[in-house]
Amino acid sequence: MEITFWGVRGSIPSPGPEFNRYGGNTPCVSVRTKRGSLVILDAGTGITVLGRSLMGSEFGNGAGQATLLLTHAHWDHIQGFPFFAPVFIPGNTFTIYGSSESPTMVEGILEGQMDPHFSPVHSLRNLGARIEVLAAQDGVSFDVGDLHITGRINPHGRYSALAYRLEEGDRSLVYAPDAGYPDGAPAPAVQEMYRGASILIHDCTYTPEDQDARRSRGQSSIADAARIAASCSVTTLVMFHYDQDYTDDQVDALRDRCRAILDAEPGGKDIKLVAAAEGLTLEL
Amino acid sequence: MRIRFWGVRGSFPVPGPTTNRYGGNTSCVQVCPDDGTILIIDAGTGIRKLGQELMAGPCGRGQGTVHLLISHTHWDHIQGIPFFAPLYVKGNRINIYARQRDVHLKTVFASQNEDPYFPVNLDEVAAEVSYTALYEGQAFTAGGARVRCARLNHPFIAIGYRVDADGGSLAYISDTAPFERILFGHEFMATRPDLDAPTPAGDAEKLRAMRQDVVELCRDADLVIFDTMFRMPEYLARPHWGHSSPEHALELAAEAGARCLALFHHAPDRGDDEVDSDLEAARAAPGACQVLAAREGLVLQIRPGGCVQGGDD
Repeated sequence: MEITFWGVRGSIPSPGPEFNRYGGNTPCVSVRTKRGSLVILDAGTGITVLGRSLMGSEFGNGAGQATLLLTHAHWDHIQGFPFFAPVFIPGNTFTIYGSSESPTMVEGILEGQMDPHFSPVHSLRNLGARIEVLAAQDGVSFDVGDLHITGRINPHGRYSALAYRLEEGDRSLVYAPDAGYPDGAPAPAVQEMYRGASILIHDCTYTPEDQDARRSRGQSSIADAARIAASCSVTTLVMFHYDQDYTDDQVDALRDRCRAILDAEPGGKDIKLVAAAEGLTLEL
Repeated sequence: MRIRFWGVRGSFPVPGPTTNRYGGNTSCVQVCPDDGTILIIDAGTGIRKLGQELMAGPCGRGQGTVHLLISHTHWDHIQGIPFFAPLYVKGNRINIYARQRDVHLKTVFASQNEDPYFPVNLDEVAAEVSYTALYEGQAFTAGGARVRCARLNHPFIAIGYRVDADGGSLAYISDTAPFERILFGHEFMATRPDLDAPTPAGDAEKLRAMRQDVVELCRDADLVIFDTMFRMPEYLARPHWGHSSPEHALELAAEAGARCLALFHHAPDRGDDEVDSDLEAARAAPGACQVLAAREGLVLQIRPGGCVQGGDD
């Protein structure tokens, strides 16, 4: 599979020259499988950039098909959706999975975003594309084309967020952008899901010091991410969801520090570390 | 009176190297009367950094009063509210003004700041938040500024503001379509209407009256900030989206006798160089007043008779 980052920032987009290298768009990652299936992880403002690039493909003439996996409904993970150009093209088909007990609840969340007070779209029904909304439930697996997908719930402040594992043959990607572990470690079932992942994209919102000052926000530090990557024996850890105020130079420093923490963990030296940046593509 | 732009973009924030100069944050303008009144128009993502700066003053000590004028509640005009630091300091008073709705304004604003969309409810913030529902044409006082509003031509209805203080004046006209052909209300317009079809007589009359009210709002203003999201061909392709072009803004500013026009609410896909060329074209228009393109960080000193750039960072 081919993994491309379109938005790597947490909370709110960060425009400005000091954010140009890593990018200021909120979370969106695309996954293209060997056989051509397209899965999109989250719909932060990064999805608007993905949307523009897709318009040059079959999505531009209404023959596109993709699956969108939402981890949760905080604004930074859905705010790009009404500006994702392919949803306005009749003929395109999108299957959206969100964290909930029922499809009706996920649909209600997206309808709320389109409410006429807030959006000129007025309703999901006015989007040209065919939209099917489904609930992704804790520990329940499903298949999208040649991908086998499982979602698991993580605590995220006083809310929760799904993490997803996507498997294609013996390759696996785990996407866990928002996770604050009150006990310092993920629940056993979540650790099981992270275990042995070829790539773990993990919440790295804060330095340990900034996390201490903002514990209630339910985000991980680089130290949490490094410890978990080592204890779950992943091959590559990808840092993701940087605080909106961290400049490019600060993210560079975050990466160096995360590398040092990884190196001190048992088995950590063998783990490859990547700091996610807009436009970066990883082949798996 | 001084004004400062914190967000100049329409629709959604656009970080990236092509927006470095004009900025990628959504709509937010700070108006600073000489007496220190804190007046803000719209709360797009630009309000986040403004909030951080205000924390150095009375807002940081819980002694701030903020007047926040909202043009309408489309996301790009309110999405920065939960990131506005003075909201989280006890003692601050945040007065939010917006056009009346068929539900209480508090309900409208609260629904973006709650589960599942945001972790902190507006009800729980430390500052005291009040809501004032405005009717079209209403005039009121906000600190040391006199404010008046008028209806604009935009889906689900927006209002424009005029602020008078210290002998200077500005009008903020965003978001709006030109006041012709299509009357926007609460209905969803799925497809592009036929622009050559005659406008229904009742609609034409309402549009004429609305335009006259907006011209009066901008009358002899030292600065008019205007929604110029579309280039003319884009307007003609999407007249039902509710935005104007620089040509529409220039015509109205000239009719109102405005002294300076700021192009505003730049389209998200408009790079810095393209904004430069739109500005150049607007300045070359016959009979144009002073024209500038709003950019993040731009500070204008507004004095009777016009505005001058200065003191920006």
